[in-house]
Amino acid sequence: MCENGFTDPRLLSGVYINSCTFKTQSYPKPDRTVTHDEGIDMTSEIEPSACSCDDGNCACGTGGCACGSGKCTETIGDSSDQGPEMPDLGQGWTTGDLDEEWEAHAEEKLETVDFDVELGVEMSRDAMRLARGELTEAEFHDKHHEAIKAEFGIDERPTKSTPLEATRGGDGNALPGVPAVEGSGLSSRRGLMKAIGGLAATGATASVAGCLDQDAGGSASATDGDGGDNEVQMGMVIDTDQCIACLKCSEACKEENNTDRGAQWMHVFRYEEDEYGETRAGQMPRPCQHCSEPSCTYVCPTQSRFKREEDGIVVTDYDRCIGCKYCEVACPYGVNFLGKNEPTEKSPGFFGSETDQNDRHVGGPPPAGVMGKCTFCVHRQDDSAQRGTTACEDDCPVDAIHFGDMNDSESDPREYLRENDEETRFKLLEQQGNEPNIVYLGNEPSNEAKPVDGPYTYEDVGLETLAEDGGDD
Amino acid sequence: MSTGVLEDRVLYPLENTSRRFYALLAVFVLTTILFLVAWVYQLNVGVWAATGIGDWGISGGVPWGLYIGGFVWWIGLAHGGIAISAAVRVINVDRFAPIARVSEVLTVLALSMAATNIVLSMGRPDRIFNTIIWWPATVHHSPLAWDIAVISLYLVLSLTYLTLSLRAEIAAFRDRLPVHFSPLYVLLTLGYSTSEDEKIEQILWWLAVAILALVPLLSGGVVPWLFSLIAAQPGWFGAAAGAAMLTESLTSALAGVIVITAIFRWAYDWDDVIDERIFRDLAIVLAFLALATIWFTMHDILTGVYAAPTNIGALTTAMLELSFFWLAVIGLVVSVVALFVMIGWPEQFFSIPALVGVSVILSITILNKKVMFVVEGLMFPTAPPLTNLYPTGSYSPTLVEWWLFIGTIFLAGFGFLVASKVIPMVELDPEEVN
Repeated sequence: MCENGFTDPRLLSGVYINSCTFKTQSYPKPDRTVTHDEGIDMTSEIEPSACSCDDGNCACGTGGCACGSGKCTETIGDSSDQGPEMPDLGQGWTTGDLDEEWEAHAEEKLETVDFDVELGVEMSRDAMRLARGELTEAEFHDKHHEAIKAEFGIDERPTKSTPLEATRGGDGNALPGVPAVEGSGLSSRRGLMKAIGGLAATGATASVAGCLDQDAGGSASATDGDGGDNEVQMGMVIDTDQCIACLKCSEACKEENNTDRGAQWMHVFRYEEDEYGETRAGQMPRPCQHCSEPSCTYVCPTQSRFKREEDGIVVTDYDRCIGCKYCEVACPYGVNFLGKNEPTEKSPGFFGSETDQNDRHVGGPPPAGVMGKCTFCVHRQDDSAQRGTTACEDDCPVDAIHFGDMNDSESDPREYLRENDEETRFKLLEQQGNEPNIVYLGNEPSNEAKPVDGPYTYEDVGLETLAEDGGDD
Repeated sequence: MSTGVLEDRVLYPLENTSRRFYALLAVFVLTTILFLVAWVYQLNVGVWAATGIGDWGISGGVPWGLYIGGFVWWIGLAHGGIAISAAVRVINVDRFAPIARVSEVLTVLALSMAATNIVLSMGRPDRIFNTIIWWPATVHHSPLAWDIAVISLYLVLSLTYLTLSLRAEIAAFRDRLPVHFSPLYVLLTLGYSTSEDEKIEQILWWLAVAILALVPLLSGGVVPWLFSLIAAQPGWFGAAAGAAMLTESLTSALAGVIVITAIFRWAYDWDDVIDERIFRDLAIVLAFLALATIWFTMHDILTGVYAAPTNIGALTTAMLELSFFWLAVIGLVVSVVALFVMIGWPEQFFSIPALVGVSVILSITILNKKVMFVVEGLMFPTAPPLTNLYPTGSYSPTLVEWWLFIGTIFLAGFGFLVASKVIPMVELDPEEVN
């Protein structure tokens, strides 16, 4: 683990920048990149400089780089610039054992780096003290916490700071642009609605938290104070630069959820836009955004559309929905499709569980006349074997979709965000205030973006062909 | 005219039935049957298949259409009636008293038809009562739940008002009312004694105040809020929608009262019962309400074309290209000009048929505006970049949709026809008899 990396004195003796810890920072431009497979020998001839792993489990040694799994990327300097070899000092060595010539060389190399060399050297020495047991890990982390934050803007090591603060940005927000929701003032939509609810002299004890999941009995009793801020919030990071608009995700969704003809719970926009005289093409897959402030749940007159408390997924109770279509008109993303009972021949039927763990009918395609939309494959989330997966993510051939808990810094989407810190990111229609839980990597389509036909159309891949029985049950 | 003569004239339809009545009854029964046939068809194939409505987004449909526009129109129509009646009682505008009863009945029927249009628009109308079951939980957040609350309250108050105001009258003229409705009269006059009259008058006064207070809350409040609170649709979102919609609603409501009253006046030769002066006064109010509607439209257009945000600008530009929009503008302008000419030179230009003509034009124009408001908001949905990535919506009502909506107008007519045989359509003073 990265943290443990600090306990390996070899890791810090040469180059103090632990790329696991600081991988979100920019490094000096690498001259070349070498990628190793798993299990690289720590005594490789490659000179240490910086290291990063795609699973975050890495340890950088003086001689190389090792990853917990997957690939490991080393960034190394120009080979002609190689200085004296780092002596192999064996276990249990101290700074006194260091080769002076090598240390001078290391310091010289560090002169070319933009970071605070003194801090690095100081940390390296403390790391050795830590390794010798003269310092506890907490003391070590705490000692340089301020300096590291000042230098890099963040300190990801497990000090007192919360995981949310550690991920990104000085404003303490977990994700770009998500306003902090602590405190239930009137700043949030829910806060305002609660205030109105409090004023309403109906005598009912329901609160607006009723937009969120309640027990199966659907009692109107007030749930906890701020029910919307789910501890677990499933979401996606979608890399639009990776996406090739192959429609595999749409196809997988249709097969899995047996949606109606014309209903694309996962739609892929293909567009062109003019960028200072150049035409730029782009693509953007669009599932339901499973918002933190979903306007569809607020307007629903029966609380059929609700946000599950256990994982923040927004679904429809098909047994209660009256088909008024108010959720559809209140959604700024256009993700709702009224059930028509017109399955396509793409899908053999829906085989997942139609009822969720609270026994509400929310899975699969909506029956005729009630509203449906992407469920984040809710039937998979309630099935221990498939939990944490969606059909679209599984079938994406270029790994553009990353599904997981957006509140868990170790989750796949959050990991992907960290790894691709250099990439621009956006949330769709963020100004609408729905606080969507899909984060896109890549350029946001401009206001002048025009839809164009992609390499494939829904007709091409047979997504629009009605099943033979025409949906007659 | 002596009171005795007035009573005879008003009670005449209850005591005699003409051949013309039976002909009209046949027409309404036929239209009701056709309405039911169309509705059964829609229930069978589904609202998505029977109508022109669809999903917005990639399908380029419009989820709310004529039914929801019709709902808003009916709600608006419901006000005029009871507002006039309540005003008669609260601020003693006695000269409008002869049209109060017709107005009250219009309110009750219009509210029912508004509810019918909502049911028509639903994907699962069989589950309509879910809205009531879950109401205690949803009233805190769903504008539709607020609507259900306020409309129900309005309907209950109007019906109570109508019923209470009928008690003394029915008791007094009981022997002249048709025998076959006796059970109803017994129910309406249950426990009646003349000593309650004073109390009932006081209750009616307070009910009238409550109803007048509900008018801005319903047509200038919860109904426009159904749309103006929806940030997702730039064509709807805004704070002024309430004021604009209330003005439109009152315009169509007054026009509706004029049309219905004139029909009764013509059908039963009530020239002496409902004086022409009433129509002249209504024309003045109608003229200014229609003018205010133009004024609000002008605000809408100006903010939409002058340095507006791109999507609102695009939406307004698109609306200016719609023929329906120009039909509405022409309808409003022509009506306002005609009304002011009538007011200015009554001797040469005022006539009740002309006023009814203008009122019909205004009613249709307001209906057009309401449907356009609903549909247009969904034709140009959401904000950029999604606005341009999704296709512009398109919508054209199917024959079934047209028929079911127009059917609600016939249903209301049927309701009036029945009411005219059950209760006196002009308020009578029971004390004259006693």
